[in-house]
Amino acid sequence: MKERIKQILASVFGIDPSDINDDSSPENIEEWDSLKHMNMILALEEEFQIRFTNEEVIELISCALIESMIKEKLAET
Amino acid sequence: MKELKYFEILKKNKEIQGVLSGDKYNVAVISNMIVVQVKEILEYSIRLLNINAFVEIGNFDNIVQESLRFCKNNLCVIFWELANVIEGLSFKAELFDDDGKNQIIEKVKMEIDMMFMNLRDTPLVLINKFSTLMFNSQNVRTNTYDKICDEINRYIETKKNPNTVIVDIDRVLARISIDRSIDFRNYYSSKSIYTVEFYKEYVMFINPVIASVNGKGKKVLVFDCDNTLWSGIIGEDGANGIDMSSNTARGSVFNEIQHIALSLNKKGVLLGICSKNNEDDVDEVLKTHPDMKIRNENLTVKKVNWDDKTINLSAVSTELNIGIDSMVFVDDSAYELGFVVRCLPEITTLQVPMDIYRYPNILRETASLFYKTSESAEDSIKVRLYQEQSNRYTCKDSFECVEDYLKSLSLKMKIFVNDITIVPRMAQLTQKTNQFNLTTQRYTETDIRNFIKDENSIIFALEVEDKFGNYGITGLAIVKLRDGRQNAEIDSFLVSCRIIGRNIEFAFFDYIYRYLLNIGVKVICGIYKKTIKNKQVSDFYDKLCFSHIENKDNTEQIYSLNVSAYTPMNVEYIEVLNERKN
Repeated sequence: MKERIKQILASVFGIDPSDINDDSSPENIEEWDSLKHMNMILALEEEFQIRFTNEEVIELISCALIESMIKEKLAET
Repeated sequence: MKELKYFEILKKNKEIQGVLSGDKYNVAVISNMIVVQVKEILEYSIRLLNINAFVEIGNFDNIVQESLRFCKNNLCVIFWELANVIEGLSFKAELFDDDGKNQIIEKVKMEIDMMFMNLRDTPLVLINKFSTLMFNSQNVRTNTYDKICDEINRYIETKKNPNTVIVDIDRVLARISIDRSIDFRNYYSSKSIYTVEFYKEYVMFINPVIASVNGKGKKVLVFDCDNTLWSGIIGEDGANGIDMSSNTARGSVFNEIQHIALSLNKKGVLLGICSKNNEDDVDEVLKTHPDMKIRNENLTVKKVNWDDKTINLSAVSTELNIGIDSMVFVDDSAYELGFVVRCLPEITTLQVPMDIYRYPNILRETASLFYKTSESAEDSIKVRLYQEQSNRYTCKDSFECVEDYLKSLSLKMKIFVNDITIVPRMAQLTQKTNQFNLTTQRYTETDIRNFIKDENSIIFALEVEDKFGNYGITGLAIVKLRDGRQNAEIDSFLVSCRIIGRNIEFAFFDYIYRYLLNIGVKVICGIYKKTIKNKQVSDFYDKLCFSHIENKDNTEQIYSLNVSAYTPMNVEYIEVLNERKN
């Protein structure tokens, strides 16, 4: 799961997967702007077949948060 | 493209950017909506055509000015969303009186005029037809919103420049459904409405237009014959046994296929056939079969022989002086297509589906790739031919390629010896196999049973599978033992045309040879009886290094092999599942 998320974030931000860790966030990844954030959400939703609410979209601002949110979503279904 | 996920497209798009060279092909997407995700998806779809594309998204909701800014681009794509030509038009329209409605229409018309003026010299302009489907699909009656939409669309139709192609996005919406095309989640916050799935479908929809303008459109449609242009196998079933008649369910499908091919031909698409068959058989069908719609005069190329299809298709490319990437090849065999793609990766292939009713629709999908910008005088576009990088693909050394391909197939062969459970299939094989059949002896089930009972005959059958699936029992050999089992005569040796070309016949012979060696046979006698269908095996025993002993009336050739002198072919990529140990 973590690897898949890293792959997606790396592709969306156009950086190397090894540059992404749990603490990665818009603070420390220059390419993580608001437009790319939306692209990231769409890519994650497509990959994991889930859908985030508007509130969740705003909260997903670190790799660790993304992972725990997706786990939660997948457990619900 | 459609099977790729969005993040995979992003990744591959970045990778392919490093590989492409040549002139930049500048594309602008101009919209009154937020359409950022289309950037890489569109870019990647064009780059797959070997065009060094760069896509830029214009500033939000500024179509007239942005069309001026990007007028020197190679391509402008206009994503103009009716719902946002004024804020909230989709729900405000119903409250307008005629004046209000006309004011809106006049405003948009004026902007359209200015946009077309700005883009009049751009090599290619794609503009989406305005659509109300996203907001109005529930309505039985047309409403004011629909009327505004219709009027603007009519206006675009009359005002568009010759370089402009109108894209009917309702068809894209219909193909994947409205629900999957739109997502209102970010509509109110950021005027973004289309889904990634929509963009993927959309870029594939417009891709043939871009290919065509850049000289990369498909030009030739080449068909295999058996079970591709007609149902059945001409070499086995004969002209009366094949079916493409509009009077049968199965035949109707092939009848439709031929009509689709002919209508493409009428629009300038070249047609060809490439088939492993006896040329005379196919010629007879083309000349005389009453249900055949495609005739010789429709065919620009005809390759009917026993050579590899890659050799034939490469020859077509050379003869017509068109790139392999301009060709579409249709065949029913996953094996043949797999081989062609491996050696000629730039070709587009289409496999006849198992559910035969799906075939016409699949061909129609492929037919869209033959889009021609200059189909009618009105549409004739000043084509700026893209600098064709001379990257015409040359076939890998054919032998090396065949070997590579066969190695990749995981071929497995299972042998049955004197197996009573498969008598009906064995009899059928002797009755139906015409082409790879050394003696064409026909036997009934009783005959086969008698061979099994008889101590002095051995009947071998062969089952084949590879990564594409199991082909069933598709080979047979009957060996008669003589002179106290010292001598063996190969009475029958045949392989179904479904599995030829994989060197299975040699592995099969090796097996039989080892079996006979094991029971003490010293000399094997082989016979080739010439028929009008079996020319392709006339040199089979020569290939196995048998000595030619006798020529009987030019119709029957007798061969002999000293068992101790034979070196097995040992076809390394065919696994024999029940190999006999020596």
